[in-house]
Amino acid sequence: MYRTFLAWRYLAARRTNVIGIVGIMVGVGALILILSIMTGFLLETKRSLRGTLSDLILEPIHVPDREGRTIPYDPEPALAVVRADPRVAAACAQLTWYGILGQSGRDAALANMRMADAQSGKLSGVKLVGIDVADEFAATNFRAALESTPRFAGSRVADLDDPFAPPPGYAPEGRMLPTCIVGEQLASAWNLRRGSEIEIVTGVPDPLTGDFPVNNRRYVVVGTFRSGENEMDLEKIYFERAELADFLSSERRFSQILVRLHDYARDGKAVRDELSAKLHAAGLVKFADGREVRTWEDFRRSLLGAIENERVLMAIMLSLVVVVAAFTIFAILSMMVTEKRRDIGILSALGATPGGVTSLFLWIAFLDALIGAVLGAVLGVLGALHIDRIERWLSSVLGVQIFNRNVYLFDHIPAVVNPLWVAVIVLGAFACTLLFAAIPAWRAGRLDPLEALRYE
Amino acid sequence: MSEAIVSARGIVKAFQVGDRSLEVLHGVALDVGRGELVGVMGASGAGKSTLIQILGLLEEPTAGEVLFEGRSAWKATVAERARLRNERIGFVFQFYHLLPELTAVENVVLPAMIGRSFGAWRAARPDLVARAEAALARFGLAERLKHRPAQLSGGERQRVAIARALFLDPPLIIADEPTGNLDSATGEKVLDLLLTERESRGLSMVLVTHDERLAARCHRVVTMADGRIAGDARTTTARAAAR
Repeated sequence: MYRTFLAWRYLAARRTNVIGIVGIMVGVGALILILSIMTGFLLETKRSLRGTLSDLILEPIHVPDREGRTIPYDPEPALAVVRADPRVAAACAQLTWYGILGQSGRDAALANMRMADAQSGKLSGVKLVGIDVADEFAATNFRAALESTPRFAGSRVADLDDPFAPPPGYAPEGRMLPTCIVGEQLASAWNLRRGSEIEIVTGVPDPLTGDFPVNNRRYVVVGTFRSGENEMDLEKIYFERAELADFLSSERRFSQILVRLHDYARDGKAVRDELSAKLHAAGLVKFADGREVRTWEDFRRSLLGAIENERVLMAIMLSLVVVVAAFTIFAILSMMVTEKRRDIGILSALGATPGGVTSLFLWIAFLDALIGAVLGAVLGVLGALHIDRIERWLSSVLGVQIFNRNVYLFDHIPAVVNPLWVAVIVLGAFACTLLFAAIPAWRAGRLDPLEALRYE
Repeated sequence: MSEAIVSARGIVKAFQVGDRSLEVLHGVALDVGRGELVGVMGASGAGKSTLIQILGLLEEPTAGEVLFEGRSAWKATVAERARLRNERIGFVFQFYHLLPELTAVENVVLPAMIGRSFGAWRAARPDLVARAEAALARFGLAERLKHRPAQLSGGERQRVAIARALFLDPPLIIADEPTGNLDSATGEKVLDLLLTERESRGLSMVLVTHDERLAARCHRVVTMADGRIAGDARTTTARAAAR
């Protein structure tokens, strides 16, 4: 009984213990808070990594085989096979290619300056995406990207059901220009508005003749989209698929088929493998090994792996905070054992065993860890749940913007508290503290009581 | 005299000092009978403290045997020896040796706390605390129950230490110069208290002292010199008690 009683007394009487408790509290709290924010960031990043990628992506390789047979240039046969699978909710064909963006009229001089500027060089290269609106809306998040409120300079399309319709009031002097929809960051960088005209230059090499004819065409911007995916919002321009195929003057009518499943988590990999086999059997993909049909995770495998890696590394690095806190307990207990030599002798004379003395000091460490870890866990969880409010308050007090929402494209600091993580961190702090405390506690138990009693 | 409560047989104690071994007790033999008050005197370095520490089972002899109530103490386990120190021996030290974080009452009940599990302590606590408070009140410390050692005078601290030593009614008290750190008037009062309690409870006591007058109040005075018992004489007190 005396062990718990004396442990409380020593804990209450010695202020140095507060340092250990605060150390553990800060360590545990920081670990929970930062891991929660990291997890939130990673989830958001994962979400934005997926961006507008659909569940499955079918990209046939359009290269003739030895017998001269090619995969059909038209998407309909492949779409029919894909849509026949009951697990498929929707599928759409896309035609993608690259182009260089130019601008004419009033903004041409500015555009030329931009294109001449090495820093803005990337802005001139754009990805051209041809879509079938109804299919695209059914299979991807593109409708949501069109609906989302522009954060930068941008303007939504006038009619969501017919997004490529010319903008209201658009009345050119000559013939009507074909229309396009641009990413809002691209619109911001190029100062594009609804009704702005742009010139796109592209070329599609002919694999048979080796010719590389270059086309250019002017388009009118009918609106912007915001997917939340930085790269996409900065580089993509959407067209109707038929219009883009016409512009490219290419036989290929599609580059990829995007597939949305009813239950990706359950069926994703199975549908991928089965579709791959079926499409190969039907002569609609070149290989049967699945390299042309991929899940969105296959598509982003290296990036997703890097994210997971980052989280593990972060957890390991932050665990050092708890180790440092546990080391503080070690230092404090070592000091206490030296200071309490006489008490240890008295306890031995009064009938305490060496094991009892050892466990007394372990109790002190246990209570340090208990108070520190519980307070740390409470603070960490509360901090994670109210991180936005805390960030705003800190920003206003310090006069510095701590979290730049424009950089991350998040409206809030994402934080996800995982109860399992909290439990692991608290138990880890306990284990670490007791492990470090075991050394001075063991030393206390081995002290010669007489030597301790002579210590006056 | 009844049988010995503690017997030291052929006790040799040597300490390792650097490379050489320093022998401070050379084959000491001493029996302390039940109810007997044995004074131990001798010059500094004569081996008095080492002898009583061995008798109190705090120090293991290099050679020889300590029989406590007829059983060889150093053949018992660490836990059994700790139990003997807890229940059968009370210590009174020159420097009181109270725990500074505890109040007077808590210091007194500490031996009972050490010997009990959490549940047993919880059950017995009210009774034990009441007993400790009564003991302290009897020692004139009724107003000092909740005081910490630092808030008590030397004499008060030693009275708390005596109450602690007697709390579990051990049959043997080992007192190492209990008045050595007190002025003579206070020392006299504290000693009277200790000896009165011993007398009324019929306890055995081994008392280390430099004070001839105090020694005269013992039944027996063992004089030590150079690690040996140089004299072992019954006093007039003992003879008077015998008559």
